Amino acid sequence: MDARRAEALPVRYAGLDDIVKRVPVSVVWEITLACDLACSHCGSRAGRRRRDELSTAEALDLVGQIAELGARDVGLIGGEAYLRKDWLEIVAAIRAAGMRCDLQTGGRNLSEARVAAAAAAGLCGVGISIDGIGATHDKVRGVPGSYELALAALRRVRAHGLSSAVNSQINAYTLPQLREMMDVIIDAGATNWQLAITTAMGNAADHPEMLLQPWQMLEVMPLLAELAVEGRERGLFLQPASNVGYFGPHESTIRNVLDPEIFFHGCNAGDTVMGIEADGTIKGCPGLGADYAGGNVRERRLKDIWENSAPIAFNRRRTVEDLWGFCRTCYYAETCMAGCTWTSHALMGRAGNNPMCHHRALEMDARGLRERLVKVRDAPGRSFDNGEFEIVVEPVPPAASTRVPDRIAVNG
Amino acid sequence: MAETGRIPVPLRLCRGCRRFVNLDGREDCVFCGADLAAAEAEHEANLAEMRRAADALREALAGLR
Ligand code: SF4
Ligand SMILES: [Zn+2]
Repeated sequence: MDARRAEALPVRYAGLDDIVKRVPVSVVWEITLACDLACSHCGSRAGRRRRDELSTAEALDLVGQIAELGARDVGLIGGEAYLRKDWLEIVAAIRAAGMRCDLQTGGRNLSEARVAAAAAAGLCGVGISIDGIGATHDKVRGVPGSYELALAALRRVRAHGLSSAVNSQINAYTLPQLREMMDVIIDAGATNWQLAITTAMGNAADHPEMLLQPWQMLEVMPLLAELAVEGRERGLFLQPASNVGYFGPHESTIRNVLDPEIFFHGCNAGDTVMGIEADGTIKGCPGLGADYAGGNVRERRLKDIWENSAPIAFNRRRTVEDLWGFCRTCYYAETCMAGCTWTSHALMGRAGNNPMCHHRALEMDARGLRERLVKVRDAPGRSFDNGEFEIVVEPVPPAASTRVPDRIAVNG
Repeated sequence: MAETGRIPVPLRLCRGCRRFVNLDGREDCVFCGADLAAAEAEHEANLAEMRRAADALREALAGLR
């Protein structure tokens, strides 16, 4: 990689060397489950603290263990990370250990005093969740007035010179408002916009009406490509999460970081991404549920869990034979491995078959078909739990077809 | 040696339809039928032309100053 490009890439960008050495470049750490919002899509069903969250001493010790593994970027999430009394001590320790530290927040109570103190502690950047305009955001986030509070927090973050980003959910409520949201976000001065598709986990599993249907990827992806190009011209970089994709004619436009040949190369969980729960449970990705818990730092060293725990290794050990359904015979199977593990597990009850995919929707559409998800089992109501959905394959209703007549279908 | 992470499987961008294709020895794009090498050459030629035009414009603007 040339030096200029290496300099321009974010520290959380994982290169081949990181993958080979399995460096957890990006660590996403839920430091508390306490929360001041009540989001209808919250995967962890945050609200009250976990009963057994790490103590300050345990958290500070964990910072050292994270640094030992070579991590470069620690993102603090919750719940609301700032509701933990010692959160600034944790920020300062992460910075002192030489790592970047960002906060991901709903911003409801990210007061002037909190932002000033965070900047003084060395916090590098803040990502604020904005999920729709005005009343839509308030509905998704479960608190009237939270939209204005989030925007005010974003302005405060900028005023303190911290890098400012926005995180947004793409779902049935926000999809029609994404364009307008981009204008608001640019006006508020954010430079990065991370977009993720709402995953059917936790509270979202109880709200199937807010989830996108697979065929809506035919609308989502061209729109994201348009927004990516326009955003870049206006100083806003779109960053699709790894559950947004895959392939199709817009892959290069939505995913490239200064290089049109960058494409989705599969889930990074457990290879270059690590998730930590507030009680010290270690996972390959923050969104994954109990099946993917690799161990707890109260019982084992982080390095031991990271290197030796089987539930962390699912990704690197996955083969095409582990895929099923449409993904099993997909043209991109070997590269993609069914995309986001979190998304497919939350919907289908196990990984390896992911209906939320643009390539798949295009292939279906070329045959005059589309997939519809129907919920067949409720989630039990625990943090990071999931229900189960069935895929119904049906003919595309005549008015909804986006078929291009001469396309070649390559999937069996 | 310790287990490595999953090494990405490389793909190639078809300059005809902007879809990624597998490196499976095929010379044409499985999606749009374009000759991959020819489409790449055309893309490179277009890029070079754009660069030349941009340089010419820059020079012309410098001459105006
Ligand atoms: S169908 Fe499955 S394997 Fe193929 S690109 Fe989509 S998510 Fe990946
Ligand atoms: Zn092509």
